[in-house]
Amino acid sequence: MNFLNLGLGELLGLVGAISAGVVALYLLDRSKRRQLVATLRFWSAADVRTELKHRRRIQQPWSLLLQLISLALLLTAIAGPQLGIFDATGRDHVIVLDTSAWMSSRSGRGILMDQAKADARAYLRSIPRRDRVMLVRADALATPATAFESSRGVIESAIQQSQPGASALNLTQALEFAERAQKLQSQRAGEIVFVGAGRVSEEEAGLSTLPANLRVVTTNSTQENVGLRKIGLRRSQSAPDSWDIFVVVRNYGVRPQSVDLGLQFSKSPAGSKRLTLRPGTEEQATFTYAAKSGGFLEARLNVRDAFPQDDRAIVELPPQVSSHVVVYSNEPQLLRPLFAANPQVDAVFETTDKFDPAAKADVVVLDRFTPPSPPRTASIWIQPPAAGSPVPVKATRTGVRLDQWHPETTLGAGLRTRDVTLESAEVFSPASGDITVAETTDGPVIVARSSNSKQVVIGFHPGRGAMKYQLATPLLIANILRWMTPGAFRQWEFQAGTVGTVNVAVEKDAKPEDIRVLDAENRSLPFTLETNASGNNLRFFSGAPGTVRVQMGDREAVYSLTLPDVGEAAWRVPASVHKGVPRPVTADAAPRDLWPWLALLGGIGLLADWLLYGRSRAFRLRASGAMAPHFKKMAQWRKAS
Amino acid sequence: MPEPLLETRFLERLERLSIQWQNSLPGLVGGHNTSRFAGAGQEFLDHRQFHHGDDLRAVNWRAFLRLEKLFLKMFQLEPRIPVRMLIDVSKSMETGEISKFYYAQRLAAALCYVGLVRLDSIALQPFSNKLHDAFTASGGRHRFTPAMNFLSGLQPAGQTNFLECSRQFCSKYPQRGLTLVISDFLDDRDCEKPIQYFADFGHELILLQIWADEDREPPWEGELEIEDAETGQKVELAFDSDARAQYTAAFDAHADLIRKVAERNNGRYLGVPTSVPIEQAIFGPLVKSGAVA
Repeated sequence: MNFLNLGLGELLGLVGAISAGVVALYLLDRSKRRQLVATLRFWSAADVRTELKHRRRIQQPWSLLLQLISLALLLTAIAGPQLGIFDATGRDHVIVLDTSAWMSSRSGRGILMDQAKADARAYLRSIPRRDRVMLVRADALATPATAFESSRGVIESAIQQSQPGASALNLTQALEFAERAQKLQSQRAGEIVFVGAGRVSEEEAGLSTLPANLRVVTTNSTQENVGLRKIGLRRSQSAPDSWDIFVVVRNYGVRPQSVDLGLQFSKSPAGSKRLTLRPGTEEQATFTYAAKSGGFLEARLNVRDAFPQDDRAIVELPPQVSSHVVVYSNEPQLLRPLFAANPQVDAVFETTDKFDPAAKADVVVLDRFTPPSPPRTASIWIQPPAAGSPVPVKATRTGVRLDQWHPETTLGAGLRTRDVTLESAEVFSPASGDITVAETTDGPVIVARSSNSKQVVIGFHPGRGAMKYQLATPLLIANILRWMTPGAFRQWEFQAGTVGTVNVAVEKDAKPEDIRVLDAENRSLPFTLETNASGNNLRFFSGAPGTVRVQMGDREAVYSLTLPDVGEAAWRVPASVHKGVPRPVTADAAPRDLWPWLALLGGIGLLADWLLYGRSRAFRLRASGAMAPHFKKMAQWRKAS
Repeated sequence: MPEPLLETRFLERLERLSIQWQNSLPGLVGGHNTSRFAGAGQEFLDHRQFHHGDDLRAVNWRAFLRLEKLFLKMFQLEPRIPVRMLIDVSKSMETGEISKFYYAQRLAAALCYVGLVRLDSIALQPFSNKLHDAFTASGGRHRFTPAMNFLSGLQPAGQTNFLECSRQFCSKYPQRGLTLVISDFLDDRDCEKPIQYFADFGHELILLQIWADEDREPPWEGELEIEDAETGQKVELAFDSDARAQYTAAFDAHADLIRKVAERNNGRYLGVPTSVPIEQAIFGPLVKSGAVA
C-alpha cells in the first residue's frame, strides 16, 4: 500500500487528527443552536423538555461511529491497497523485433513479419501489466520505436506499424543497443527478447557473447533462397560502344540449385546463362553487350523461392557520349592520327575554305589559317597567322628549344619532353588570366584561355617536326579535348547492389574535398575515407533503396542500391538462451485493487449518516411543511353570511 | 431606487378585481356596492307615504294628480364604504425564512390597488402595540404610488397589543366599514377579544393570517435556544418530533380560534403561508372566498 509516502506513525497521527476534527465537527453540529422565533406561546404548549442534557455529551454515538468508519475507509482507499502479491515497480523489457529484408519472405499465407508480430504480441500478453516494454526495430541499424512504455496499446501499435526493411540484420549491434537501453533507462531490468528469423551474416551466425537475460522467439522460415548479390557495368576497354556486365548470384540455401540468369536491355534480350550453385556459394556471370544508346538493364533469375525480392535488379545506363570535333586543315593527314587515337572523339576533317562559324561541333580545330569570323564553340588554334591570332603573337622564332611544360595545370598534366627543338614556333604575349601550358626561353608557345568559349593556341604544329614523334603530343591533344569537353571523357561505373554499407576503391592520392557522395535527390551523404596498403577505401551507408553517385574528378560511379541485403546464414542460438514465449501471468496471480470498493463503502457510509442523522432531515421537514398548511387552510374558508 | 412591491404585470391582472363585502353599511354616495338602506341614489326602490319634513323633490307628483295623495319615491343607496387595512408592523412579523412583513406589505399593496381602481376609500393603518400614522386615499389609481411608498417606508418594530389597538381603532374610525387585518396574530395575550371588539362596533372583518413555515412547524431538532423576536425572552429546550407535533397542533388550534371568531361575526378568515406566492394567494383562495371578485 502507498500511504502517500507516510510512515506508520505519521499515518496514525494523520488518522488521529482527522478523527479529532470529525468529533469536534460532530459535537459542534450537535451543539445547542440559537433560533429567533415569532412567539414563545406555542413552545410552552408543546410540552418540550426544557431541562437540557449536557451540551458536550455525544447524543448520537452511532452517527459518530459511522462517520469515523467511513473516513477510515476513504483514507485506506487513498492508500491504494491491493489484494495479492505486491510488486509495485514491475520490470523493464526490450523487444528487439527483426525488421531485416529477410522478414518479407513468404511464410505460409503471409510473410515472416506477420508471424514475428504475432509472437511479439504474444510475449506482450504474457508479461504482467505493470511491466514496461521498449520496442526496438532491428535491421542494419537498431532503431527504438518506443521508450519504456507501460501502455500496451502504444506497444501493440508500434508492433503493428513495423515493416520489413531492405537491409540485413546486425544482431550484435541490436543486442548491444538493448543492453545499453536497459542499463541507462530501466529501473528494474527485465528480459531482452529477440523476435524474428535471425538471418545474419556469416560472422554473426555463431554469435555466442549474448546478454544473460536474453530470450529468443525464433520465427520459423525456409532456408532455400537464390538471389542476385551484385551487378557491375563498365565501358569495355576494347570496344567503346560495349558494356562489360558481370552479375553475382548467391545460393543462400542448403541444397544445390540450378538457375537461369537472363539479361534484358530496354526489354530486349541481352544474354542468358544457366548457373549451378552449391550451397552457400556465389557465382559470377560475365556478359558483353554493345549499346550506344541509354536504357534500363534488367537482370532476372528464373527461380521460384521464398524471397523473390532479390531475384530481379534494374540499372539505368546513360547513352554513349562522344566529343564531336571538326578539323579545318589543308593537310589533314598530319592531324588525323592525333584525333583518331581517342575512341571518345568523333573527328571530321574539312578544308579551310569550307569553314562554317556555326558548325555543329563541340571543338573546332583551325590549322594555320584565320577564319573570317571566330568560331562560336571551343577552338584549337594551330600556328595562327599573327594578324588573326586570338592571343597576340610576340615573335616568330626558328630553332627554339621547348624548355618547360606546366604539369601543375590541367592541360599540362603528365606532359614531359626532353631536348626538343621546334623548327618554327610563335611566341605569344598572354593576357592576365591566360594559362601557359608550355614555353620556350623567348616566351609561351602554348596558351589556353577560358572565356565564354574555351580557346587553346599552339605556336607550333604538333604533327610536324620533332613533336611528331613525341609521346607528349597525343597526350597534349587528349588533355585539351578533356579540358574542353569533360563529359565525353568521364569514366562511368555502374553497380547494382544491396543496401547497407558500400565500399568503393578510390585512388591513393584522392582527397576527401574532391569526392562527393550524392543520393538520388543530389543530397550529400556522409562517407569515410580509409587508407590501406592497396589504396584508399571510401565507405558510405545507405539504409533505404535508391541510387547513390560517387563523383571523383572525371570519374563517376553510380550505385543502384535496389537489391535487398539478405544475411548469408541463420543464427545458431546457443542452448543456454531462453526460447519461446513464456506462459502468461494469470489474472489471479496479479494483485487486485481494493480502493474502488473501499471508496464505495466509505461513500455509502457518509451518505447513510447524512440521510439518517444529518441535515437532510431538516430539509425534508421544511419541504413537507411548506405546502401542507396552505391546502389544509383552503378547506377552512367559510363564507360569513 | 427601491424595488417596487408589485410588478406591472401583476397590477394589470389586479385591475379586473374589486373588494367585496357582505353587510349593508351606510355611507356616502358613490360606491359600487348596493345597500339595503334607501337614500339618494339613481335606482328606484319603492314608494311610501309622505311625512312632514320629507324632501319635496322626491314626491311623485303624477300619483298626487291622479290620486290626490302624496307619495314619496325611495331610491336604492350605493354607498361608498371605507376600506381600512390594519397592517401588523410588530417585530414578530420580521421572522421567517421568507419575511412575513414583506409578504404583508405586498398583500396590502395589492388589495390597496384593487380598492383604488374601484374608487374605494382606502385607509392603511399600521399597528403594533398602538396605532401608527395612517395613510388615506380616496379613489383613483393615481393614488397608488403614494400608497406604495407609504407601505415601503414601514419598518417592523415593537410588540403586538391587539387589545389596545382595537380600542384606538374603534375610537379613531367611528364610521363602520370593511376592516382587513393583515397580521400573524401571534400576540402573547389573547387576541379573540380585540377581534370581537371590531365586530361589535359594526365593522365587517376580513382576517388575513400570515405565517412562515417555521412558525407552524419548526424544522429544528435537538438542543435549541429560542428567542422571542418581540420580547427578547430566551428559553433553552430540547426539541424532537413529538414536541414538534404538539407545537403544530397548538398553532393550528390558535388559527382555528381566529377563524371561528371571524365566522361568528359574519367575517372571513384566510391563512396564508409565506411560501405561497402572493399572486397565487390572491387569485386562488382570496378570490374563492369572495373577498375580492
